[in-house]
Amino acid sequence: MTHPANSGRDAFCRRTRRQFMWQAGAGFGAVALTDMLSREGFFQGQALAADGVTPYRNPLAAKPPHFAPKAKSVIFLFMYGGPSHIDTFDYKRDMVGMDGKTVTVKTFGRGGHRNQGRIVEPRWKFKQYGECGKWVSDLFPNVGQCVDDIAFLHSMTADSPIHGSAMLMMNSGKILSGAPSIGSWVNYGLGSVNENLPGYVVMLDPSGGPISGAKNWSSGFMPATYQGTILRTKGAPILDLQPPPGVSRELQRDLLNSLKSINDEHQHSRADNSDLAARISSYELAYKMQESAPEVVNFGDESQETLDLYGVNNPKTEDFGRRCLLARRLVERGVRFIQLYSGGNHNDANWDAHGDLEKNHNLHAGATDLPIAGLLRDLKRRGLLDSTLVVWGGEFGRQPTAEYATGSGRDHNAYGFTMWMAGGGIKGGISVGTTDEIGSKAVDKPMHVKHLHATILQQLGLDPNRLSYFFSGLDQKLVGVEHIDPIHEIIA
Amino acid sequence: MCRFARQRSVFIALGILAAILGAHSNLHAQEKTVDFAREIRPILAKHCYACHGPDKKEGGVRLTDFESATANGESGEATITPGKPDASELLKRIRSQEDSERMPPEGKPLTDREIDLIQTWIQEGAEFKQHWAFMPLERPTVPSPKTSAWARNPIDSFILHRLEKARLQPTQPAQARELIRRAYFNAIGVPPSEEVIDAFVANPSDQAYEQMVDELLASPQFGAKWARHWLDIVRFAETNSFERDGPKPNAWKYRDYVIRSFNADKPYSDFVREQLAGDELDQTTPESLTATGYYRLGIWDDEPADPLQARFDEYDDIVSTTGQAILGLTINCARCHDHKVDPISQKDYYQLVAFVRDVTSYGDRGNEKRNNQIDMTPNSLDDRYTQLNQLIERTEKDMRELEQKGIVKMSAEDQRATEGPERGKVIREKLKDYLDESDWKQWTSHRDQVKKAREEMTKLPPRVAVLGLARCEARPPKTHVLARGNPQAEGDVVEPDFPKLFESPKPTIAEASDQAKSAGRRKILADWMVSKENRLTARVIVNRLWQHHFGRGIQKSANNFGQMSEPPTHPELLDWLATELIRNDWNLKPIHRMIMLSSTYRMSSHAHDTSSENAELAFRKDPSNDLFWRFNMRRLSAEEIRDHVLAATGNLNLELFGPSIYPKLADEVKASQSVPGKGWSNSSESDLNKRSVYIHIKRSLIPPELANFDFPETDSSCEGRFLTTQPAQALGMLNGNFMQEQSKTWASYLLKTVPGSLEDRWAFAIRKAWGRAANASDIAALKQLHQQLKTAHGLRDEEALPFECLVILNANEFLYLD
Repeated sequence: MTHPANSGRDAFCRRTRRQFMWQAGAGFGAVALTDMLSREGFFQGQALAADGVTPYRNPLAAKPPHFAPKAKSVIFLFMYGGPSHIDTFDYKRDMVGMDGKTVTVKTFGRGGHRNQGRIVEPRWKFKQYGECGKWVSDLFPNVGQCVDDIAFLHSMTADSPIHGSAMLMMNSGKILSGAPSIGSWVNYGLGSVNENLPGYVVMLDPSGGPISGAKNWSSGFMPATYQGTILRTKGAPILDLQPPPGVSRELQRDLLNSLKSINDEHQHSRADNSDLAARISSYELAYKMQESAPEVVNFGDESQETLDLYGVNNPKTEDFGRRCLLARRLVERGVRFIQLYSGGNHNDANWDAHGDLEKNHNLHAGATDLPIAGLLRDLKRRGLLDSTLVVWGGEFGRQPTAEYATGSGRDHNAYGFTMWMAGGGIKGGISVGTTDEIGSKAVDKPMHVKHLHATILQQLGLDPNRLSYFFSGLDQKLVGVEHIDPIHEIIA
Repeated sequence: MCRFARQRSVFIALGILAAILGAHSNLHAQEKTVDFAREIRPILAKHCYACHGPDKKEGGVRLTDFESATANGESGEATITPGKPDASELLKRIRSQEDSERMPPEGKPLTDREIDLIQTWIQEGAEFKQHWAFMPLERPTVPSPKTSAWARNPIDSFILHRLEKARLQPTQPAQARELIRRAYFNAIGVPPSEEVIDAFVANPSDQAYEQMVDELLASPQFGAKWARHWLDIVRFAETNSFERDGPKPNAWKYRDYVIRSFNADKPYSDFVREQLAGDELDQTTPESLTATGYYRLGIWDDEPADPLQARFDEYDDIVSTTGQAILGLTINCARCHDHKVDPISQKDYYQLVAFVRDVTSYGDRGNEKRNNQIDMTPNSLDDRYTQLNQLIERTEKDMRELEQKGIVKMSAEDQRATEGPERGKVIREKLKDYLDESDWKQWTSHRDQVKKAREEMTKLPPRVAVLGLARCEARPPKTHVLARGNPQAEGDVVEPDFPKLFESPKPTIAEASDQAKSAGRRKILADWMVSKENRLTARVIVNRLWQHHFGRGIQKSANNFGQMSEPPTHPELLDWLATELIRNDWNLKPIHRMIMLSSTYRMSSHAHDTSSENAELAFRKDPSNDLFWRFNMRRLSAEEIRDHVLAATGNLNLELFGPSIYPKLADEVKASQSVPGKGWSNSSESDLNKRSVYIHIKRSLIPPELANFDFPETDSSCEGRFLTTQPAQALGMLNGNFMQEQSKTWASYLLKTVPGSLEDRWAFAIRKAWGRAANASDIAALKQLHQQLKTAHGLRDEEALPFECLVILNANEFLYLD
């Protein structure tokens, strides 16, 4: 597809040779091939790293970006289930008074394709916030205070309105499973600056994971080194991190010392095999992680004021607040990509408001509004917002019409929905793109999930059209084979 | 846009052309120093073919064959003038220091070495040879190396010949203990017992080794090891991925089919035929039908946003997997446009789709099993099941209609609830209130009827089914070339035909008869795949055998034999083995045997051996062991590590076959699912001790023991696993439930059954785990640990032993093979 965000720009002269080739249908450009070549040795090293002859290279070692980055880290606040855009940030003043009216409108959700429906008027009042005067609903009074730091994308579109494939699309750019998630791409492209913590962290809702579970943070066809690591705010932060009960850290140290002396002896006559040495040091790394991970989840050094800022002391907001605070602490320690799920499991345990819209959204917005605002404010006052890209949104939005004969539940909508970004070199106080007057589909500057992904990579200093991985005979990219521009309108 | 076109020149004369042609013919007589296939084509493919390859001819320049490359581009200048590098525009452009002129236009310029190679190649006449893997298979002559004593069989002659050319020698043989462990793990995936090791070490004669190899190849565990390699290639998994990641019933029977086939040394040709067309063979058998499970292993979206797109994604999965698994070709690259590097057109791709067009979708949401469960139930029983099922289906349909009458009158919440798992409850509790009396009466009578039918069914003997092609479309719709892969953009109609590069005659395919259950095309495809004329199938499979014995293939990219791939290190050997396979009627075990009996296989893996100056020299000259002057050390695979632990602790259950097993998963692992624990079952203790190939493969929930150690991504063909080293492995090996349990049960076993001192127990454990006698320094290390556990942590002997066992199981010596 051609990117509508290009349409305002000079149609020919500013195109690079590469763009021309892509648009001319080359599909698989010279630049992709040459980039592949430069990384090829790396793949072979990966595939054969433990064959005893290939020198070991830490695949997570920090790597230079393609160009100077605006953001060092990303926090992706994933509103799983699909929040309703017209009830949150996409103000539809003309819908006031339309409730119950039957209108002709094309919709496509889990209930299939429909051509008409009964309007469910937005159920919350909207108010203007900030210097930019952004209209935000009463679901997000605290986030509303931060609108001058936020760029709203009102014309998002996705390829599927079905949770399974839509989740995969938002996380990996493809509706089919098996591709690496965006956090894996970032880890692959940039490596990690803190080797004592995973470079890509995922925090789940206490009610459960999202559907498709681990597929959402999988490294797909890349090595498992790049996959997301689940971090928990309660219990052992990382799987198998802590020795079983009754085994002290000192005892574990003694085991490692003994293991090291045995392994050193074994390596003595096999000095050329660097993988043996790497494996010895991986135990040391694990040992350091045992210290670093609990330290990061321990909020003992946070002030009461900070805890309150995130709503950690209010049962309603405690859980998401903890995860938001943890996200900031991870950013401070150099973790590249952090994903937080609001909502898990099925039905009303997440934003999937098919039955009672008000009950559902009051619950989930109520649990997240204060923590998200707290996160933005805290990042800002610590000077971290400039280098931290915060992304908010679900796998799709919701329809303007009712799903059932009665009630306020809305079905899924991938034809148009809202996401937002803040920090990390993104302009604040602006809104890009629109949906039609009832929010049924994107009309002005439709943007695809790929453009969102391209923007995230761009801010991290990675060229979305260059970051590629050779697999299955093809130069695979997060944004696919065709040239995709980042959303220039929101880049500061 | 090509820059060749921009350079204008009027300097071309017929006389010069004549001179070129003359030079060209003279040059044939000279000895060539540059090998086009190995050294030049890869450079052209990687740097040039995106714009000047099979699919594109920018600026009138194409570098795929002699005629095109020596022609004039649009600029009027000869791209290549054979014998005259200085009169070749190609060389001028790749050498240029001008950004605006240099090729390739973006990315890094060619290296000096690459430019030198191209210059020499042009100087020597710019000969184009067809890509080695696309040439018909011929049997090379076995070379005669100078020092013939080392060579035990033709494999060694090929290897030694190359080494001699590089002025290197093979290193010395591996020690008996190293060799037997290598042979056991490579052939059957589990270690030898200490008695077997001792016997071999006492008598490591050729005869004893040969006998051992024969025993290993005859072992039923051979299939359990080699099946897993095939399962990687065919993206085996037992669930569908996506939202529900629902189970594929009886997928394990396909896994068992693969194990049985390898154990029986089924000819590879039959193995391929059964999987591609097991339902269309002259003689179909339960086994051949089970083999068609091959088509049902991929991912399947039960609720696709775009059903037509999803259908073609399924075909793509089949064509991609088949292309890579059997032909070693990335045909999938030609789905949206002609292949950029290999001579595979988009038309070739859709012709292959046409071959498999009768394959139905895995299922549909209304009836998930109909297309993929082949019923093998005896007839009389089958009839009764059918009657009862029809009755239930009919009656339930009526019931749903009645229910719908009531549901539409319910509240929105209740309506919503009837679409989920709460439906039964809502119907039970509320339906009566929303139906009139006669409807309600009818509904209850239906309900009782269904109940009765179901009760009868539970008393019948169970049905028998396998996963496979249960339904095909005997007369499938026409297949079109799809512009840019878009199923809405239908182009020319294509018929089933083989990719052009094979130069095979177009097949004649009869219309399916009225009684036909399938289109009859796949059998023709399968026969062609394993015909003698096929240029790739035999090469690809012998390369895989080599790969899993030596740690890498002769062709390193085992799924891609195309022009983009790094050239094979020993192409003649590969071709010789491929012809040998065909001479052996496609039986694989003779090839395994020849590999394992070779001197090449029996070499030491040590690089620095004081007794061998040669090894020092070879290590300097060929550190990556491209020429196989030594054996490569390797880490065990995820399955081998788990099986090795079970073998060492004495818990391994070598029972073959059966439904998959469910290792215990920590709650934290299950918590990643939207419904924690869903789709995961429990297995008995003895089942849990079965080999890892029997572990249930749920796409969204791979057990950490496998995932940590590079279990492959399940959704597409895996040609070779990654081998990463990362802290999660260390954490799992030290603290994971499985390792904790194993070290504890092992310690109590040692305490109970091994008499004597602590040292005796450690020595016993080391012999079990590392396959050798403990030495003084091992014992000293454990003694020191024991002292520490005792004094610093206050542990008694029996409390300390599990930790000592854990250390033994974590040692590199336990995880790596020499």
